[in-house]
Amino acid sequence: MIPTQPIPSIERPDAAQTLWLSLLVLAAALPLTPYLHWQVSAFLLFLFVIRLAGLRWHTALPGTWIRALLTLAGVANCLHANHSLVGQDGGTALFVTMLALKLLELGSKRDLRLVAILLGFLIVIQFLFDQSLPLTLYLGVMAVGAVAMLVDLNGGLGEARLRSTLRIAASLSLQALPLTLVLFVLFPRLNAPLWSLGVDTTKGLTGMSDSMEPGAISELVVNGELAFRVRFDRPPPNPNQLYWRGPVLWEMDGRRWSPGDLPAGSSAAPLVESGNLIDYEILLEPSGKRWLFALDLPLDTPDESSLDADFQLLSRQSLTAVKRYRMRSALDYRTAEPDARERERGLQLPDNITPRMRALADEWRTRSASDAELVRQGLAFFNREAFHYTLLPPRLGANPSDEFLFETRSGFCEHYASSFALLMRTAGIPARIVLGYLGGEANAIGGYQMVWQSDAHAWVEVLLDGQGWVRVDPTAAVDPSRIDNRSASQLIGGGTSVRFDLAQASALAQFARNLRLLADTLDATWQNWVLDFSAKDQFALLERLGFGGLREYGLVVLMVLAVSLTLGLILLALLRDRTQPDPLDAHYARFCQRLARAGLPRRPSEGPSDFGQRVMTQRPDLTPPVSRFLALYIPARFGPRQSRETIGLLASQLRGFRPHR
Amino acid sequence: MTGAFAQIAARSRQSFSNLLRRVPTGADGVARVGARQIYILPTRTGLMFGTVLMVMLLGSLNYQNNLGLLFTFFLASVGLVAMHHAWFNLLGLAVQVRGGPPVFAGETATFEVTLRAEGQRPRHDIQLRKDADAPPPVHVPDGDQRLVSLGLPAARRGRLRIKDLMIETRHPMQLFRAWCYVATDAATLVYPLPARQAPEPGHDAGDARRPHRTRGEGAEDYVGSRGYRHGDSPRHIDWKAYARERGLFVKQYGGDQGQEVWIDWSRLSAPDPEIRLGLLTRQVLDADAANVRFGLRLPGVVEGLAQGQAHTQRCLTRLALFDDTHATDSIH
Repeated sequence: MIPTQPIPSIERPDAAQTLWLSLLVLAAALPLTPYLHWQVSAFLLFLFVIRLAGLRWHTALPGTWIRALLTLAGVANCLHANHSLVGQDGGTALFVTMLALKLLELGSKRDLRLVAILLGFLIVIQFLFDQSLPLTLYLGVMAVGAVAMLVDLNGGLGEARLRSTLRIAASLSLQALPLTLVLFVLFPRLNAPLWSLGVDTTKGLTGMSDSMEPGAISELVVNGELAFRVRFDRPPPNPNQLYWRGPVLWEMDGRRWSPGDLPAGSSAAPLVESGNLIDYEILLEPSGKRWLFALDLPLDTPDESSLDADFQLLSRQSLTAVKRYRMRSALDYRTAEPDARERERGLQLPDNITPRMRALADEWRTRSASDAELVRQGLAFFNREAFHYTLLPPRLGANPSDEFLFETRSGFCEHYASSFALLMRTAGIPARIVLGYLGGEANAIGGYQMVWQSDAHAWVEVLLDGQGWVRVDPTAAVDPSRIDNRSASQLIGGGTSVRFDLAQASALAQFARNLRLLADTLDATWQNWVLDFSAKDQFALLERLGFGGLREYGLVVLMVLAVSLTLGLILLALLRDRTQPDPLDAHYARFCQRLARAGLPRRPSEGPSDFGQRVMTQRPDLTPPVSRFLALYIPARFGPRQSRETIGLLASQLRGFRPHR
Repeated sequence: MTGAFAQIAARSRQSFSNLLRRVPTGADGVARVGARQIYILPTRTGLMFGTVLMVMLLGSLNYQNNLGLLFTFFLASVGLVAMHHAWFNLLGLAVQVRGGPPVFAGETATFEVTLRAEGQRPRHDIQLRKDADAPPPVHVPDGDQRLVSLGLPAARRGRLRIKDLMIETRHPMQLFRAWCYVATDAATLVYPLPARQAPEPGHDAGDARRPHRTRGEGAEDYVGSRGYRHGDSPRHIDWKAYARERGLFVKQYGGDQGQEVWIDWSRLSAPDPEIRLGLLTRQVLDADAANVRFGLRLPGVVEGLAQGQAHTQRCLTRLALFDDTHATDSIH
């Protein structure tokens, strides 16, 4: 390979620089691999291998023509893998491929600098895929590495190059931190995107679906991810009161419950009674759905959402980012009497109600005087008969409700809620299914509750005369001795579901749990203060500083002021002369100070020997220490060199030297 | 027309040059770079860095990606801090410029620049620049000093001064280039370019091409050789020794000892004073090489009869610094 223009020697990178930069790019691109198509990753690996081989055997590096071919191959590879060169996946694959190709063409330091600068872009891209704290820390190290690379490429650092490079890069990074913080807090944010490049944000999100069939919830429960965090203003209520309300299901087709068509434009009727109000804040993980969860029964409506007639909170848009909202709920409530149409909807039955189900419902009806009595009968049935509660129920056939009730008798909350609601409807009591979460794990370190996907739950609401819709949880009626903890702990993996009562008693388990809580606290803080920091928080901060009325202008002014101030402080710190006093001078100053305390101050014009003479004539008793000190000090001060031993000797002389008046 | 433009350009360059802040040299001969004399601008790398940061900022703002913003701001802050480090790297640097040994016109004059890092911090990547010459950047450890020599083409005789010495740094990340101009009085003496040949001093030979020193060449006694010194006449080089690869030696003749020669401006007839000075320089060098006692007479200046290196240098200095205005007076 003959370069078209000879590169001046000062601009030619050395092998170590090329190696370090290549490794840096490799390390920075590594976290992207799970999100790249395997073809793209394979091509990247191939390029890195050529690069590293090229360091050892220079001839392994491809020439201009082969590089052009490789570039074409890279683009074609990306196109084949993602069917696109734009968008989140296509664009990222293309960018990483091009960056890796650039590694094959590192002729001058300028090329290396370009790659080091583009590393910043490579880092930022990755936050479209993952925003976790560990990744951020890792990429932070990479960013400092890019800074160090630029420092080293500039050169002029003297002999201890590596040490100087790292020291300078560290001091640059540390000094940049306060400035970064100021910019991060005060730089005005956009409230809506300017353009959209097809970033797919719903990918890989888990959340409650808006329908229920056997196995739907247990799938969610096993998932084990966090659903949301709650911070109560006052001590939290009892865990068995923590029913987090989500989708409400009306229609049953024999196997699957679905919401059905809600009368358009319906809104929640005011409650007849409400008590035991509770205020809290929820930090909801993105689910890709629109449900906002709230304690049964929500009273408030957060921004950008609505509360419908079934008391479901619905966000206007799908939740693709963490959502924070304040809520107020009533733990004790009485809903208004619904109209006849709603009553009608609550009594629809699928066509696969078997005679024995009908017989069971009829039997309860004849044995009870009121609807409330009938509900109690139903719950007693689940408690009395040998129903088992397990996450691993046997497979059910065409009529799951009938099979569950009379044959398998072991199931999960969805089975209980579904069959109970059907039996209630058969007996003539309007009933509906509510999906949501039950309970939550207290995080004492963070002072909040964590609600996991493993807390997903389904329960029933029945319409009782004079009481409105009343919550009934048939799962809670199951005899605790028939709850299968083993399968749960196996599947949930050390979770803390209220229903399964997975107690961890051992010290190690306790320790592990505390670690997990601490990690979650960190994660919550990260979510709250970094990932979720928005224009709203900025304005709140501005408000607190008393510039609330200035809005964006206030932010800009404040940002400029704060940046200038921070830079000024950094500069002052740099300018502060770091000269330490000469140890010899320091010892002499101490010597003079002690004599001054004894009433013998040195005159400004006096040199050490004149001063010593005067001291010895005025205070003959001080002659030995003073003459000993000066015998060491004067040759050291005015002689050719001062050694460390002399300073040590002077220090020992001074130690016992405390002249009195 | 072009002349007028050139004049305007020269004048504007001059007025711009007057506007430049330079680092003054203190009473101790050392120039210390002050805060207000440092210029700073982004480099090409810096512009590239800024462009990539802008793209990162727009993207992160658009996708409301706080971590993207965080890293963009971090790199931007590093850039801002680096700018101050570049400035700070020059601030307080002590520079001392000295002229090098005298040279003949047409050669390269050297200047010795001492860079001292006073105080507790080292200076990185300090580069000197004057016109085309830019020696490689140096690192000065704290409390230490480094010597850098700078070559400058000596076009004309006289004192060659280095008016604005540029000191620049791209430390720490080559995002910014900070530089300053050091004003210094340091000068290197430039002797006139010796003529290739010169008539025998004492003879008024209008024809400089006439074979030199025909008289008594054979009468000179060879007394020995010495090493070649710059400016020695090629005629005295011991070519035989050179052919035997012993190196360059100059034959010394003792035959002229006791001979006295006056090298005289008025005995030459070349009309251009510079050509005359060139001839005189050649005569001085020849006389020195021939080991004769010689004196130098220039209009208004007389250097008495003497011999030796010091005398030769004195004479060459006279020639280097000779003021032509006297010359025109004396010719007519």
